[in-house]
Amino acid sequence: MAAAKTRSSSFSGNLSSAASSLGPGLKCGPNGTVLLSSGIPDLDKILGGGFPLGSLVMVMEDAEAPHHMLLLRNFMSQGLVHSQPLLYASPARDPRGFLGTLPSPAASKDDKSRGPEPDQLQEKGLRIAWQYKKYFGENQLNFDGQRDGKHKYSNEFNLRNPLERHFINGQRVDCFSIQDSPDLSILQDRCTTFLSQLPRNDGSISCAGRIAIQSFCAPQCVYSNMEWEMLSFIRSLKNMVQSSNSVAIITFPPSLLSPSFCKRWQHMADTLLSVKAIQDDDKELAQLLTGYQDMIGFLNVHKVARINTQVPVILEATTFSIKLQKRRYLILECLNQAPVDGSSGTSYGTSGSCSSSSKTGNLDF
Amino acid sequence: MAKSICIALREGALEGELAPTLTIKDSIASPFGLQVFDHVLSQLFSSILAGKSPSQGLILVSFSRSPSFYLELLKNKGINVASSDKRIHILDCYNDPLGWKDQIVEISSTVTVFREVKHMDKLFNSIIELGRGLVGGGKIRFSIAIDSVDEMLRRASVSSVARLLSNLRSHEQISSIFWLLHSDLHKARVTAVLEYLSSMVASLEPSHQLANGQRGDLENFALIEHNSKKGKFHVRFKKRNGRVHVMSEEVHMEQSGINFTPLTSEGAINQGLVPKVQFNLQLSEKERIDKANVVLPFEHQGDNGKPLQIYDGRRSLVDSKHERAVAVENVQTKEESESESESDRQRGEIIYYRDSDDEMPDSDEDPDDDLDI
Repeated sequence: MAAAKTRSSSFSGNLSSAASSLGPGLKCGPNGTVLLSSGIPDLDKILGGGFPLGSLVMVMEDAEAPHHMLLLRNFMSQGLVHSQPLLYASPARDPRGFLGTLPSPAASKDDKSRGPEPDQLQEKGLRIAWQYKKYFGENQLNFDGQRDGKHKYSNEFNLRNPLERHFINGQRVDCFSIQDSPDLSILQDRCTTFLSQLPRNDGSISCAGRIAIQSFCAPQCVYSNMEWEMLSFIRSLKNMVQSSNSVAIITFPPSLLSPSFCKRWQHMADTLLSVKAIQDDDKELAQLLTGYQDMIGFLNVHKVARINTQVPVILEATTFSIKLQKRRYLILECLNQAPVDGSSGTSYGTSGSCSSSSKTGNLDF
Repeated sequence: MAKSICIALREGALEGELAPTLTIKDSIASPFGLQVFDHVLSQLFSSILAGKSPSQGLILVSFSRSPSFYLELLKNKGINVASSDKRIHILDCYNDPLGWKDQIVEISSTVTVFREVKHMDKLFNSIIELGRGLVGGGKIRFSIAIDSVDEMLRRASVSSVARLLSNLRSHEQISSIFWLLHSDLHKARVTAVLEYLSSMVASLEPSHQLANGQRGDLENFALIEHNSKKGKFHVRFKKRNGRVHVMSEEVHMEQSGINFTPLTSEGAINQGLVPKVQFNLQLSEKERIDKANVVLPFEHQGDNGKPLQIYDGRRSLVDSKHERAVAVENVQTKEESESESESDRQRGEIIYYRDSDDEMPDSDEDPDDDLDI
């Protein structure tokens, strides 16, 4: 039972009764929603607590990098750790094999704190905090999770350690392959049966379910050229999920869809994320951003779910870099621009890159 | 870099991973795909023969060229196929792809004829069977080269070809795969699908883009000729850590074959993700001189202390020669000012029209009268 008081609205209704009836891994969110964790604590913070129950999350993949798999792994592991039923569909021949790559939760005694920033100069007198917002995060403690030892709302996952078998075996975990289905009716039926176990009533929510569909329009699937059918499947899934206690996440490669359908799919999502690959040895990017060496990709938040409210969520930043801390923990960081030398207008380490007046392409005042 | 591609294909897949897959993509503007394919094929096969690779055999699925061409090619490269027939086998989809002929003459024992190219499942089974026949069952791996995927796409749907390729990639006995694609024969989505399925994409581009696509122009003939012998070779590697490695080389067609050389002075143009945002705030010499020459409309200033008469659109009270109505003056003065400004066109000028005559000089432009700059 991990219930935390919401801080965002000044109304504080009688949350105690509602809070006591939430199952593990759920917490109350703003506007009467119930949230569950994405498995990545940084992503939960960005999205305002987690994914609301009844929402559809879509992730746009990048054909050049497998970062969507990292998001899916954390999402699925979080569900299994909280004993939430899981439905996983993928175009691989043997989707069950993917369960073997799920990460296990990091032991709480591991040192997960972010190290001190290496750029900081220890001066006695004036200290200049370059990009001061970085220092705020160090002081904020995740006090929600520490309250009860048994069930944290969200765990950090160690990608090096596989999830223990007992989490997977004793569960309601349903995996199947969507490669050979001639049309989407089988997938539809499986989703319907899965969601019928999790109807939404006004009473307590004992458990919530998770649906993960990977690479939905992958080219090896037979139905992958039936664009209207795929769209109507997504619409019906969204409707079913809305009236049940579950969250569905669908990843898809947008480059394989026609542009109009790509737009339609994006509109279907309640929460829309996209991952992008990063180029190796990109000198321009290395000069522009700090911490480029550790980044493995970018995550963009295009849309955040608005349930029971008309107020839009405006994020401070929508692009985040994906890093693997100590090669184990997935963290998301805001992009920080490298220090720019104010006198000459170039960043450190360059030799007159763009301010030389001999180039004709620059803006010339 | 052609070398790195060959090394990646040679090293093959790690346990539990998908096989490294290469797409060689060319177009009419830079049609060296087949030569690059031959180069990669001979490099990979010689590595297999030399035992440098965990892969023990190579299956070549030939659609667009006859198997005898490949046997000749390997012989010319100094590889004796006869003694190495336990390492390579060619699946001939060229001679009789749809099974029209009644009888097929066997070329050699290294070639098997395949007659049902419309059925991707059967093709898959044949490839695996031949591979197993070559290297045995169990954990021993073999590599696959597909002459050109275009022919497969002619006869079967994109999703069945994609299924074949992804099943080959995930098969435990396959070490690496590569294929050739002519990108202008297909819609963009098909190329995107094949790039999605591969871990390395090598594309050939012309070194000089033809202007406006007009191929009949005289100037363009020279470019076309240049493009027919040289080109650019770009490779995008999808690395295991999720980053993309981009490399470029120049490629030259010669009598003896194909040559890869590092890029010359033009350099690789890296499209950064973030645009340049810095402005040029510095002045060149000429600009500095011009700036010094601009006459500012401060009436108390002037050359060498002389009071400077700034033309202000109205005759000032000092000059009593011309006593005309303001409107007429304005018309006249405008003409005069035009003639004046023509002579002064080299210099930068600021034309200032005073609001009224009875104002003190400079009083309406700077409220801080103390400042005398």
